[in-house]
Amino acid sequence: MPSSAPDDSAMVELDFAAETASVDAIQRAAYRFCDRFSCELIPGETTHRCLLTPVDDVDVAAEVASFRTEVLDQTLRERIRAETEPIRTMILAQAFSKTGVVDPQDMA
Amino acid sequence: MSVSRFREATDFQAGSDNWQLLPFRFERLNGKVLVTNLVGEHLTLAGEDFEQLANKELPVDSPLVRQLRARHVIRQAGERTPLTLLALKARTRYRRLAESTGLHIFVVSLRCEHSCPYCQVSRQSQDTERYDMSLEMAERGLDMAFRSPSSQIKIEFQGGEPLLNFGLIEEIVRQAKERNRDHGKQLGFVIATNLALLTDEILDFCARHGLYISTSLDGPADLHNKNRPRPGRDSWERAVEGIRRVREALGVDRVSALMTTTQGSLDRVHEIIDTYLELGLRGIFLRPLSPYGFAIKTKSYSAYDAERWLDFYRAGLAYILELNRQGVDMTEYLSSVILKKMLTNQEPGYVDLTSPAGIGIGAIVYNYDGSIYASDEGRMLAEMGDETFSLGHLATDSYEEIMTSEALLAPLEESFAPSAPMCSDCAFEPFCGSDPVYHYATSGDFVGRKPESDFCRRNMAIFKHLLDLYENDPAARMTFLGWAGR
Repeated sequence: MPSSAPDDSAMVELDFAAETASVDAIQRAAYRFCDRFSCELIPGETTHRCLLTPVDDVDVAAEVASFRTEVLDQTLRERIRAETEPIRTMILAQAFSKTGVVDPQDMA
Repeated sequence: MSVSRFREATDFQAGSDNWQLLPFRFERLNGKVLVTNLVGEHLTLAGEDFEQLANKELPVDSPLVRQLRARHVIRQAGERTPLTLLALKARTRYRRLAESTGLHIFVVSLRCEHSCPYCQVSRQSQDTERYDMSLEMAERGLDMAFRSPSSQIKIEFQGGEPLLNFGLIEEIVRQAKERNRDHGKQLGFVIATNLALLTDEILDFCARHGLYISTSLDGPADLHNKNRPRPGRDSWERAVEGIRRVREALGVDRVSALMTTTQGSLDRVHEIIDTYLELGLRGIFLRPLSPYGFAIKTKSYSAYDAERWLDFYRAGLAYILELNRQGVDMTEYLSSVILKKMLTNQEPGYVDLTSPAGIGIGAIVYNYDGSIYASDEGRMLAEMGDETFSLGHLATDSYEEIMTSEALLAPLEESFAPSAPMCSDCAFEPFCGSDPVYHYATSGDFVGRKPESDFCRRNMAIFKHLLDLYENDPAARMTFLGWAGR
């Protein structure tokens, strides 16, 4: 078996409270870690369960800790995106529009 | 006619004591946090300061608030100026898109008298003319080039060895200049040549028509000659003599050199840089090997991984910075491109580090047989039998058909970094680019899986290294500011 094959016996189960971490945030974190874990996500009403299977010989404890931090960061990114999305859209609209339809006063 | 006037001072004053977030992204770096705004302006925060920012607990009179406002990460509530400035900077950053396509590469011959094991164009034997571009295809290539809306057109002659078909180069230059009388574009020419076949007649033509020369120089003679076998085993000697003659005939700024990194280069970066300095070349591009052409066939590409190349790059950069500290003017061009993106609002247009990608809209390739490719790397893939980046043919397809073809638009759209997985969240994205050809060659799709991508791994490591030097090494910072400002 190649050394990069997933090791099911080392699978780690993580639970995230659904009210603090969205499925999207967990999925984005899982993608960032796809070179270290394969991830199965089981969404729930109150808890999202995450099954992480290490790929290759990663330092599981350290990487799991990093994964938890990454989920927190993704949750924060989600909040920043939501809060700044209207402004981002306005800025880009103004940047690429020469029509004058975007009134700077509306951006205040 | 309306008359512009300055706005009232109150227009620039804060609307309230509160601040609001502007769009930004962040990455954690060894206990600190890199924050970049919508256009890549950035600052590094201590962990606790970032937590205060994220939780919106920063006191309005904190010195950090001024820094964050200066970088357009936050604004005072009601403040309009940051939005206008961000829009202006975003427009500046993407202005090249209205200027497509600037670089037109004519592969005038696939023949070459070298037989380099890693050659990215999968050269053909010299003794047949079936691999030369015809005059008809060249003229159709010029039709395409002058159809481009770009006000600046650079025509680059590549091969094989383009000097093997120099007669066609002369004809293309003459016709391009003739056509440009009507178009009035800023027109430039470059020959990418190993210089082995340089003659006085060629130099004379280049001098009369203002051509530039780009050549290859891999470092010391033994390394260069090992990388670039030719009859006589004198590739380096011919290149060095050619550089001297070009400088003498055309001027010192008319010739530049590019190196190719091979396994044999990795422990010799000081010698390579010294060779450039000894020849009076004041810059070097420490390039990774590309996963295309003969590099794949001869397994040169897999001979070393991203980490080994990064060690090579870091050692080379450290040496160049030390030379600058000693007063020697020497530039590392890859760092220079990235620093321009990091420290200015300019987009240097380096096709490997732009998003949307530079394929087709930054550069386009007319192959010797009239086939059109989205990039030189796309042509190399085609030489390996994969026509994914073939956009059509000069004999049958119009400019409109080429530029709106699915073969071009699909990789451009799919790989656009602000929409790509992980890139869309990445604080380094404004410094980076999308490279659909690389990712297609290495992972089979235009996007790739970023955590497993050497492109991503390599670029992230470079960005972190440059930021670390910029923030913690005052001498490096001064050198970097000079490079970014050029």
